Amino acid sequence: MKLHPALKRWESVLALLLIAEILVFGAINPVFLQPSMLLYATSDFIHVGITALALTLVIITGGIDLSLGSVMGLSAITLGILWVGGVDIWMAAVAALAVGTLGGVFNAVAIHLSKVNPLVITLGTGFLFGGAALVLSGLAGATGYEGISNFDPAFVNLANLEVFGLPLPFALFLVLTVGFMALLHRTRFGRYVYLIGQNPRAAAYAGTPVFRTLVVAYALTSLMAALSGLILASYFGSARSDFGSTALMPAITAVVLGGTSIYGGSGTILGTALAALLVGYLQTGLQLVGVSSHVSSALSGGLLVIVVALRSLSEMGRVWFQHRRVLRNVAAE
Amino acid sequence: MIIRFLQRHREASVALIIVFLFAILGLVDHSYLSLDTMLLVYGNSLILFVLAIGATMVMATHGLDVSVGSIMGLAAVVAGLLMNAGWGIPASIGVALLVGLLCGLFNGVLVSWLKVSAIVATLGTLGLYRGFVHLLSGGSWIEGLPEGFKALTKAGALGLSPVAWLVLVLLIAAHLGLRYTAFGRSMFAVGDNREGARLIGIRVNEVQIVAYGLNGLLAALAGVIFASQIGFIPNTAGTGMEMRAIASSVLGGVSLLGGTGTVLGAALGAYFMTSIDSILVLLRLEAYWNDIIAGAILLVVLITDGKIREAVDRLLRYQKYRKFIDPQAAGQQGELAKAAVRPLKTALETSEARK
Repeated sequence: MKLHPALKRWESVLALLLIAEILVFGAINPVFLQPSMLLYATSDFIHVGITALALTLVIITGGIDLSLGSVMGLSAITLGILWVGGVDIWMAAVAALAVGTLGGVFNAVAIHLSKVNPLVITLGTGFLFGGAALVLSGLAGATGYEGISNFDPAFVNLANLEVFGLPLPFALFLVLTVGFMALLHRTRFGRYVYLIGQNPRAAAYAGTPVFRTLVVAYALTSLMAALSGLILASYFGSARSDFGSTALMPAITAVVLGGTSIYGGSGTILGTALAALLVGYLQTGLQLVGVSSHVSSALSGGLLVIVVALRSLSEMGRVWFQHRRVLRNVAAE
Repeated sequence: MIIRFLQRHREASVALIIVFLFAILGLVDHSYLSLDTMLLVYGNSLILFVLAIGATMVMATHGLDVSVGSIMGLAAVVAGLLMNAGWGIPASIGVALLVGLLCGLFNGVLVSWLKVSAIVATLGTLGLYRGFVHLLSGGSWIEGLPEGFKALTKAGALGLSPVAWLVLVLLIAAHLGLRYTAFGRSMFAVGDNREGARLIGIRVNEVQIVAYGLNGLLAALAGVIFASQIGFIPNTAGTGMEMRAIASSVLGGVSLLGGTGTVLGAALGAYFMTSIDSILVLLRLEAYWNDIIAGAILLVVLITDGKIREAVDRLLRYQKYRKFIDPQAAGQQGELAKAAVRPLKTALETSEARK
């Protein structure tokens, strides 16, 4: 059986899984198949997808960013504080994005300076940024669960705005997907990202601007996390410091399920985007057919374990077959 | 010399920071500076102590377990449900610990036999086990735990509760066990050099699985302690504890790259994380300062540590190749020894200049 090369790619499997998933849920509950349902359901999880796109770059460089959940909360709270302080909402939004970007630059500089594992550094900065968000919201007198609300209606409406018939956050996700695909797969920067992930030492000897590339990758991740924080603030109409606490693990899940190696060096943006939709629709679909949201999160955890274990098993099987073939050839001679 | 000592004994730097914290507390109001305060912090750190022991073992094998928070919640819910169903307290706790052990072993199997990377595997089980929590509890809190169960964390002999004594014994046993037993050393061997460990006859996969299994068992114990301490079990029990446990261990000098670290260090890290909490309360500062202070200190310790290690490495490399750069120094062992204590800066400058 000869398969077309395009079909052997992991992204094709993901796309088929996504279609199958939508059809199965549609068969159980036809409401799921309505285009408006499919489009507006994305608003619940698209912030995870947007962050995961940029996180893909960081993971391909062999790093990771555990602070992005905290950055989401920090950017939302920055927006809220400035708005309460009388700053124009759009200026506040720009400031929130800037704070997020600075957080990413801080991550990259700390990793570069200390040469410590990115996992550890971003664990620390995660506490730092999350703590900063808590302090800011505490100083503003916003209680944990209510947060800061009463935003400019124009800002709150943003999440429900339609662009070419698509909800704005989803449209943004599509545009960003194309943008990141171009950035990672069609630019010199993108090649550097892969090279650093494959072999950082070779990259350094080859004169790759390692530090600059890492700064850009981490800054983009934080920027996207900050953007997601703003999208959530607009969607919920309020800003809370703990916005991102549940987004970190799903974002990593989307990247890994999308075929990016957690050890760095390989992965694609399209895979991440498809995996983000796959996991998101799984949650929505399960809720629609009457499974509680907590159980559906268990199922997405289970899905991650199964898919990754199967991929690992198939890789082990492939190596085993290869070895056997080589041994047979040697024996035949 | 001091730098060398701190390099060898990472625990010492955390101990210094803890002393510093208590010193600040003493300056503000010296009546707080008492054994009672230290015991209070100890009582509040029990959960993190137990988790830090497990994290140390897993990280020693070059692993990572982010699912411990969910295992904690699952064990607490299992224990709570069984007790409310009329089971005895020891039997319920036993089943809860068994559940934790199984969860941990499953993580270990994924990581060692199926070769899934540790963070990805445990990320998946983080969601999976949390889902079991909700399935079992049906989405509601578990209340009305028996008084005998809550009494386990009530102060007893010498101001410490029965559980506090148990944790103290566990800490000592784990510290000694990891340092001085063959099995303890084999965990570090696996983490330091997996292939090398295999070649000297260590069953690397099995060691890894047992490390994860014990970690699950300890996480379950942490869940039981949690339930006993607060007297009811919310669905979110244990959420976010994995990050605190990892941060404690890292602060105490356990490397995420495997092969180094002590339980004593991890325990000091856990004690520090909790003492910030308690001391903020005593200083009448708002609790929301907690994370930013913990994060800042964590980063300062990590970055300083990284810089020192880098400088020491460069110095060692300089000494190793010195005879090629400076032929006169070849064979002069006394000179080499002097170079070791010479200020780092001059040595580095020379090496830079020679390039």
